[in-house]
Amino acid sequence: MITAENLWYRTLSIEELRIAPGITSVIGPNGCGKTTLLKLLAGIAVPESGTILVDGIPPRDAEIGWVNEFPDRNILFGSTFEEIASPLRFRHLPCTEIDDRVVRCMKAVGITHLGTRPMQELSGGEKVLVALAAALVFRPQVLVLDEYDSHLDARRAGEISRIIKRSGTPYVIHCTQDTETAACGDSVIFLEQGKAGCSGTPEDVFASLSRTAFYPLSWRCRA
Amino acid sequence: MKVSLAGVQAVRGDWSLSAQGTFGEGIHLVSGDVGSGKSTLALLLSGLFPPASGTVEREGIISAMISFQFPEFHVTGPDLERECKAWGVDPGSVLAAAGLAGRETADPLDLSRGELKRLVLACVLARDHDLLILDEPFSSLDCTEKERLCAVLSGRMRGITVILTHEQAHFPRVDRIWEIQDGTLRDRGRLPSALGHWDHAPALVKDLIARGKVPANIAQADLLEAACRI
Repeated sequence: MITAENLWYRTLSIEELRIAPGITSVIGPNGCGKTTLLKLLAGIAVPESGTILVDGIPPRDAEIGWVNEFPDRNILFGSTFEEIASPLRFRHLPCTEIDDRVVRCMKAVGITHLGTRPMQELSGGEKVLVALAAALVFRPQVLVLDEYDSHLDARRAGEISRIIKRSGTPYVIHCTQDTETAACGDSVIFLEQGKAGCSGTPEDVFASLSRTAFYPLSWRCRA
Repeated sequence: MKVSLAGVQAVRGDWSLSAQGTFGEGIHLVSGDVGSGKSTLALLLSGLFPPASGTVEREGIISAMISFQFPEFHVTGPDLERECKAWGVDPGSVLAAAGLAGRETADPLDLSRGELKRLVLACVLARDHDLLILDEPFSSLDCTEKERLCAVLSGRMRGITVILTHEQAHFPRVDRIWEIQDGTLRDRGRLPSALGHWDHAPALVKDLIARGKVPANIAQADLLEAACRI
């Protein structure tokens, strides 16, 4: 279980939050603190007060994979292959094992065709796929994705969703503006003005949002 | 007024895009997979990327504007007020339109991505351009803002608006649908007949068509009307 208690960081203030294993979607208006919460979960930021723990340990001591919404901010290396290999190189794994794991990871994410192409030649969506591969290649305990689907077409987003499920990552936490995607997850957290407005199953959370634009259109049309 | 593409080939390394067709007045939706060439087409239409062969001709277009997929690419000002002035627009009204009134001294790059997108779109839409090219204008916007943008775009009474997007839930009422498939720009025609040929149509649109409830257009109100049809 991921737990947050009396969490306070900049404009984000959450008294209590519990995230069970599975796929959790964080939704809410622009500027409500979604990315801030994800950065705290990933250990990129540290709470000014309060605690956040992943199965009892701070995020910085856990294996966390992070996919930034702005792909260009993820890039460290010039080629696709080297970008994906970098987390393993930083862990000083043997080169043969690195090569093997990168090849298998690229195949799982469906980007084998990118090979060693220069990162700067990739489209925005392709850069997200490379970032996802780099986040999965070291088999993290928590995968945190900051609006990764903003730059993916529906077909590719569906594929990525299936890849993430198949990866067996215990905790997947992502924020999204696509409420149809959020409706398909295991749980939803709705943030509003830096606070957790409501959290729970998609049915429970969206029931409380039925009079807003956040309610999935497909659910409205099935009514 | 129109933009005509004749025998256009855009080439980036071993990748290429072929495009042929005319974008007349109205709202055009261009859909396609990631990496299919939507952004390249946006650059071709805006004149920022020269075709390797063929021609891109504009007729009757005095002013043109493009909004890039990633809003940070537009930022040149150190604070919101000077960012607005760099666009040549009034900071007061634009920041109010973007919901950012009172934050004139904030660094644009300190905004959340959605807030920065709102700012850039407010600057882009502050003037009435003959040719308006919007590359993934909905990405990073929350649902409420997407619908607000759709209302603004639906209200554009003149000029050519080209929206290049893989958005699946929020659209303005559009006049024509295009798709990029297998390296080629394909004209699917006017709505609603285009819907039957639209491979990238959202699942909800495909479901409605399969149930014999063809929506008149693809704005949420049109889809709800079709869904509620007896």
